[in-house]
Amino acid sequence: MTGQTVPMADEEFVMGFRKQNVWTKWIALAFFFGKVGSGMFILAVLLNTPLIALAGLAIENVGKGGSLIIHLGRPERFWRAVSRPQSSWISRTVWVMGVFTLIALLYLAMPQGSPAWQFFKVLALIGGVAVAITDGFIMNDSPAIPLWNTPMLPFLFLLYSLLGGTSVFFFLVYGGWVGVTPLIDLETLETVLIIINLMGVAIYLASLANATATARESLRLLLRGQYSTMFYGFVVAIGFILTLALTLFLGASGGALVVGLITLADLIGHFFIFYLLLLVGVYAPVTGKLTI
Amino acid sequence: MTQAAFSPADKDRWIKSACKMCLHGCGIRVNVRDGVILKIEGDPDNPNNMGKLCPKGHSGIMRHYDPNRIKTPIRRTNPNRGPGVDPGWEPVSWDEALDIVGRRLKKIRREDPRKLLVAINDFQRIHLWGWGAAFGTGHYFTTTGQFCGAAYHPINGIIDGAFASVNDYEHCNYWIQIGGGDGFSSHLHVAGSIKRMADARVDRGMKLVAVDPRMAAYCAKADEWIPILPGTDRAFILGMVHVMLHELNRYDAQFIKKHTNGPYLIAPGGRLFRCRETQKPMVWDGGDNMAKAYDDPTVGDFALEGRFVVDGAEVTPAFQLIKDALKDHTPERMSGICDVPAGTMRRIALEFVEAARIGSTVMIEGKQYPYRPAAINFYRGAIGHCQGTHDHSAIKLMNMLVGNIDVPGGHLGVGLDHRLLLIEPGPDGMIKPQPHILHPPAPFSCPPQTLQMMEFFPIGLDPAHLVAHNILHPEEWGYDFKPEAALIYHANPLKNINGYHKVLEVFRMLEFIVAIDILPNESTEWADIILPDHSYLESYMMTLCEPPVITGHTLRQPVVEPMYDTRDAHDILTDISHGCGCLDEFNGLLNFTMFLKPEYYLEPGRKHTAQECLDRMAKSIYGPEMGLDWFRQNSNAVRRQKPGEMYMPWDGMRISLYHEYFLQVAGELEEKFRSAGRQWDTSSYHPIPVWNDDHPLHRIPAEYDLYAINFKAEAVINHHENTTIPWINELVSNIPIHKGVLINTRTAREKGISTGDRISIESPFGKVEGLARVIEEIHPRVIGISNAIARWTMHPVERKMNVNFNRLLPASLEFTDLVSGHQETAVKVRISKI
Amino acid sequence: MARFGMVVDLKRCVGCNACTLACKAENGTPPGIFFTKVLEQLAGQYPIVKKKFIPVLCNHCLNAPCVRVCPSGATRKRDDGMVLVDYDQCIGCKACAVACPYKNRELLPQGKLRQGHFKGHLTPFEKVKYSKFQEGVVIKCTFCCDRVDQGLEPSCVNTCPAEARVFGDLHNPESKVSRLIRQRGGFQPMSEANTDPSVYYLE
Ligand SMILES: Nc1nc2c(c(=O)[nH]1)N[C@H]1C(S)=C(S)[C@@H](COP(=O)(O)OP(=O)(O)OC[C@H]3O[C@@H](n4cnc5c(=O)[nH]c(N)nc54)[C@H](O)[C@@H]3O)O[C@H]1N2
Ligand SMILES: Nc1nc2c(c(=O)[nH]1)N[C@H]1C(S)=C(S)[C@@H](COP(=O)(O)OP(=O)(O)OC[C@H]3O[C@@H](n4cnc5c(=O)[nH]c(N)nc54)[C@H](O)[C@@H]3O)O[C@H]1N2
Ligand code: SF4
Ligand code: SF4
Ligand code: SF4
Ligand code: SF4
Ligand code: SF4
Ligand SMILES: [Mo]
Repeated sequence: MTGQTVPMADEEFVMGFRKQNVWTKWIALAFFFGKVGSGMFILAVLLNTPLIALAGLAIENVGKGGSLIIHLGRPERFWRAVSRPQSSWISRTVWVMGVFTLIALLYLAMPQGSPAWQFFKVLALIGGVAVAITDGFIMNDSPAIPLWNTPMLPFLFLLYSLLGGTSVFFFLVYGGWVGVTPLIDLETLETVLIIINLMGVAIYLASLANATATARESLRLLLRGQYSTMFYGFVVAIGFILTLALTLFLGASGGALVVGLITLADLIGHFFIFYLLLLVGVYAPVTGKLTI
Repeated sequence: MTQAAFSPADKDRWIKSACKMCLHGCGIRVNVRDGVILKIEGDPDNPNNMGKLCPKGHSGIMRHYDPNRIKTPIRRTNPNRGPGVDPGWEPVSWDEALDIVGRRLKKIRREDPRKLLVAINDFQRIHLWGWGAAFGTGHYFTTTGQFCGAAYHPINGIIDGAFASVNDYEHCNYWIQIGGGDGFSSHLHVAGSIKRMADARVDRGMKLVAVDPRMAAYCAKADEWIPILPGTDRAFILGMVHVMLHELNRYDAQFIKKHTNGPYLIAPGGRLFRCRETQKPMVWDGGDNMAKAYDDPTVGDFALEGRFVVDGAEVTPAFQLIKDALKDHTPERMSGICDVPAGTMRRIALEFVEAARIGSTVMIEGKQYPYRPAAINFYRGAIGHCQGTHDHSAIKLMNMLVGNIDVPGGHLGVGLDHRLLLIEPGPDGMIKPQPHILHPPAPFSCPPQTLQMMEFFPIGLDPAHLVAHNILHPEEWGYDFKPEAALIYHANPLKNINGYHKVLEVFRMLEFIVAIDILPNESTEWADIILPDHSYLESYMMTLCEPPVITGHTLRQPVVEPMYDTRDAHDILTDISHGCGCLDEFNGLLNFTMFLKPEYYLEPGRKHTAQECLDRMAKSIYGPEMGLDWFRQNSNAVRRQKPGEMYMPWDGMRISLYHEYFLQVAGELEEKFRSAGRQWDTSSYHPIPVWNDDHPLHRIPAEYDLYAINFKAEAVINHHENTTIPWINELVSNIPIHKGVLINTRTAREKGISTGDRISIESPFGKVEGLARVIEEIHPRVIGISNAIARWTMHPVERKMNVNFNRLLPASLEFTDLVSGHQETAVKVRISKI
Repeated sequence: MARFGMVVDLKRCVGCNACTLACKAENGTPPGIFFTKVLEQLAGQYPIVKKKFIPVLCNHCLNAPCVRVCPSGATRKRDDGMVLVDYDQCIGCKACAVACPYKNRELLPQGKLRQGHFKGHLTPFEKVKYSKFQEGVVIKCTFCCDRVDQGLEPSCVNTCPAEARVFGDLHNPESKVSRLIRQRGGFQPMSEANTDPSVYYLE
């Protein structure tokens, strides 16, 4: 399209970029619960709090599983989703979830400290990580949408699941709901993770700046277009700046309320970053490099 | 209707018929399964459209099954009418409805038939247009031509006995298209023409140059798009003619000498110089250097140029006069008017004469013809203006100068129907002018009898846009009656006539309106009674309208039983005629308009069904064996035109290069006005097309800084009419040019307008509002308004964007071509963001 | 084995959208759903502007992402190259819709079939046509498999007044489609996506 800026066509009969519009809030929620659930589980295993591990597992299955089923046009046929793990990432995630849940339950059933327990603990940890990452591959597996088609995504999913898990824990512990032997200082972990995620997101978006025109169009929608207010508001201001400020200047000492706020803010940012990444998924113009 | 065709035995049938989603009547085959219409396809056995269908053709299913169709006769219960006011329809029986209408019209007819306004616009049933004449009223209260064909058909008829004209798809190599959608979107036979044009463009590599203020489909496909200011095409053309005559000195002298009145000597005052004894027009024989009768066999060389003195009179060949008249029409001067660079005019003029291969010949079916594969094609956009006669004459002049009229590769006359070109010898060795192919002229009368003043347009088409003005100001021309009722059949006058506010006032005045329609529309929503017509998939007709390349009728026949309690419009008119006492007159009219042979004449006093009439029509035209039953079996009698029918059917007669005929008509008209003691400006009856700086459109004050045009030259839309069909509505809602008022990017930036903004558009004559659609592909000094954004009908599917272009247009004599009756269809406006 | 394909001649196409409605009529697609569209592509600046009409439809890709990502196996490829959706198996996960680089798939949302084109009133035509569809599944161009299996050409090809659409066997070097592709240098849309479409364009 010689020297012409490619228009955003949407439904109009015009050659231009088109926005993905079939994977929206329910997929975003599924990812959200998936990450927070697995994150909680992983931390719970590390901190050895079986109850919370169980809760993580529940969030994973009920939250993510539920959202996925609601997302389906034909929920009553959900069981068909498992039929093609060899090629379809959706099939795979369902399998991974199932297997992981099985292992996790076994791990929780084992007598603490027994060698089997030790063994399953390792397996469960691996499973947790796997669950967190596979969702990333669902998005990453769409070459049609350059924005998603990068190995950065599964990585981001993992980072966010750890952060998600941590902040929930952070809340539970300093909110005084559960007592754990603090092998790790949750507060610093939280802070560090927020910063790492911030960097992760920054690097990811920066990497798009000189990607294909289509990916840049996604970036434009996110940073300057239709969705920029949502992005700066929920993801940047609430998700990063507020959480960081609160953890650094008040932190755990701020008491249950502050801790709750930090966690809430973090989860809001968490949900919106991936929700928005879905919404700004843009396709290249149909005829690709066809010019006039 | 042969019931057999509907025996439940064959549950899955394909029935052949004719399309009616525009005026052209392509051959279709319709799939009906268990009584449900499932598909319409082009009939591959019909040489008209060769199995092709345009989008409108497909949408017929959704028109037929529109739940908003009128299902029984209905009567309004709400006494107050107005745009958007619910009439509160209630069903009535046919008997009651026809009785009410009959009694009302009978009364009017007794008192003064001229109190009835008639709006009939069914293009596939032109034989019904004259119903008013049978009733006794001559008013045309609907656009029948003044928006498109007024400056077109009569001029075609005068030049070569044609009704329309189009370039030769099969042989043309260099096609200039101006303000017309032929071969792409509109005008003559869309579906078939698209195929013929695509073959020419792609298979034969024909070059296409498109001239239009906006990039219509045909411009997008052209090798070159030349944007132009509205109403200035004549300047563009005459600039090129100047180049041909005064710079290149290249034209087809042989054709002009042999086949036109170019060599005829013209006396001072513009009329033919005649031999004193024989009264024959004279020419100058360049060989013997003396004047001779035009038909003197001894004429060696018909002089085109020079000035001579014969019997003391200063005489000049017509061609020389034309050349002189255009001496000052330099590309530079014309460029200042039409905004096309002078260099472009020079280049196109040269390419045109080069491509015309002047002097070459071609053999077709054993006969040799001149071969002129370069021609200018055009329609409404180019000539739809208040000096349309000259816009049209200018284009014909440029064609004629390369000798391409009715020769292979050139610009061919097209008939209205099976009669094709009406070729009869006229006086002075010329072909007889045929300005009245649609209906006979209205004899002069002052005060006029018809509200469109047809009596004052002896060679024009009904300027229906004058009706409302004359009703509101009867004193101006001394009308001594006041219309009180209207009959509307297949027309939407409130929508289709310009000067909306005047038409609206007339609608408010009318005491009684009866409509024959399938749907409510802007006008029929005002009716007191609507009588429901069959849909085209339930009715009969012999269709043939303005066919390029082919000729012959295609049968429209029912493919399903009528869905509702409807009747064929033709039968409804028969019933009404019977009810109001003009049945005999109506039958008499049909004998004439359906081309019935005496042995098939309709009997006085008898009601003949539409089928019966069509059967007689078919037999009259094709012979006793080819009645309706033959057509039921064979579907169509369409065939390619023979070379002899298409090419120079007038050979041996001369066609008009210099329109002396205008002066003759003007003379007679002046005489009549003089004796009537009234003034009438006949100056536009000018034998030579020249640019006239005193042009009402361009005279509009400069504060109206933009031109506004509107268009229907897009294959998806039919007039305004089909935007209530969901499939069409879906399309136009997704296609940028049908989503708002088209404004060029630069202009929009200057005025701080962007796509989606609500803007007001104001002309000296009216004001509308609409959404802006900023595009690149339109002249920066022009805004474009698609017919797809024009409507306000209550139909639930309609988008009701209501950018009613006709509010912006003038509707007065000042903006009317006094020769043809054509109105100005462009206007100047100022726009601003609201 | 034949591989069905289509060639669209962008020189011939006049953007009339007859194909769009021929498809609507043949398939009876519900409101707002088009299996084929005619996109316009604009370039340049006034007065040097170019506008092209580009009909698009499912490309029935040989290497089809939509087939690959389908978890239920509802989207399958026939031996003759047609990519079809089995409505009875589709779970409506929309992975295929996301995966199609050409955005040629759409979910048929709940309620659409009851609504119809006349908002709440189903025409006899729609009643017949909608019985083939299911709500909650993904639908797209079928290459008119029913017509093609009967030896007819697709509806959009059949109607095209400009004969800009040609349908045939890409595997047969003598077929009109193969010849056009050879002679006029036909190219596939978005070839960089490596989906190997069965639809080719001629410029
Ligand atoms: N698809 C379709 N076909 C039709 C019809 C229809 O409604 N739809 N209607 C039938 C009827 S009744 C008619 S009258 C014909 C009309 O057929 P056309 O004359 O082909 O259609 P219009 O859109 O009226 O005008 C043609 C072009 O003129 C351009 N134009 C406007 N003003 C000017 C001007 O001053 N100069 C130049 N050079 N161009 C200008 C418009 O932009 C438009 O592209 O089509 C017939 N066939
Ligand atoms: N602003 C603007 N005004 C215009 C034009 C324009 O381009 N712009 N074009 C002008 C031109 S060139 C023309 S020719 C006129 C055309 O003007 P009209 O002749 O009024 O054209 P339509 O709106 O197509 O047809 C009128 C009505 O016929 C009805 N109808 C449709 N099918 C049937 C049927 O089968 N039976 C019956 N009984 N009725 C039916 C529909 O209700 C439709 O509203 O408009 C002119 N007016
Ligand atoms: S051109 Fe007119 S008659 Fe032919 S298919 Fe289209 S709408 Fe029907
Ligand atoms: S029908 Fe043919 S010409 Fe018309 S838009 Fe479709 S492909 Fe192009
Ligand atoms: S075009 Fe899209 S839907 Fe069609 S086969 Fe290719 S990927 Fe699948
Ligand atoms: S929506 Fe249906 S067809 Fe598409 S991927 Fe999911 S199951 Fe397969
Ligand atoms: S092939 Fe059939 S289904 Fe596909 S676009 Fe053409 S008409 Fe529609
Ligand atoms: Mo017209």
